[in-house]
Amino acid sequence: MSKDIPDFSNVQGGSTSKDVPDFSNVQGGSSSTAESTRIYVVVSGDSLSKIAQREYGHANQWNRIYEANRDILKDPDKIYPGQKLRIPK
Amino acid sequence: MKLILAILAAFALTVNGCGKKEEPPKPKTSDASTTIPAPAGVIVGAITLGNALGPTKKVVQASDSFARNDTIYASVDTTGSGSASLNAKWTYRSNGQEVSVRDEMQTINATGPATSEFHVSKPDGWPAGDYKVVISSSGNSSNSRTFSVK
Repeated sequence: MSKDIPDFSNVQGGSTSKDVPDFSNVQGGSSSTAESTRIYVVVSGDSLSKIAQREYGHANQWNRIYEANRDILKDPDKIYPGQKLRIPK
Repeated sequence: MKLILAILAAFALTVNGCGKKEEPPKPKTSDASTTIPAPAGVIVGAITLGNALGPTKKVVQASDSFARNDTIYASVDTTGSGSASLNAKWTYRSNGQEVSVRDEMQTINATGPATSEFHVSKPDGWPAGDYKVVISSSGNSSNSRTFSVK
């Protein structure tokens, strides 16, 4: 190995950006004068309990969401990012 | 001989008559009063922003500028009828880039003109800056509004 080339093998990296705020705690909702059903799109890290906590304020209300989506949910513990769940009022 | 010629002529006429093809009926031409049906579906109209909502899903006072702790409402008028997915995509604009803030979706079953609302809030306050909301209907039509938090 040449003496002119330093050893960079132990360089550690990473990056942060002060310009991009964290919006992960943003809460939302919707309604309509027409007959409507709210749809929630599952994101990574979600569970029915977490969604129920966010939507109803109580994690133990997860069964309401499960029952409203029995046609697409076979197991309440298995939901996937991108899945669209109906949120009963 | 005349008799033979007459018989042949009559035979030729008969054969010719049998072979005559019937003309297909001419297609009916549309008259000028025919109306073209409007495209089916729900069409997104005007979006109004505000920090409070009235009972008819309209914002109480329209505004494009908000405080850090406001709940931000987007009220959207739609026309048309049928079932449609309304999607609201909220973004924050920073250095020419759009950062996703929140995607919200609802399906509506409209029987005519309707007003729908989407709202977002942030418990620890909105970062100051420029934002945008795009509301679309089943990917068919969309409208957008920009606003700022100061």
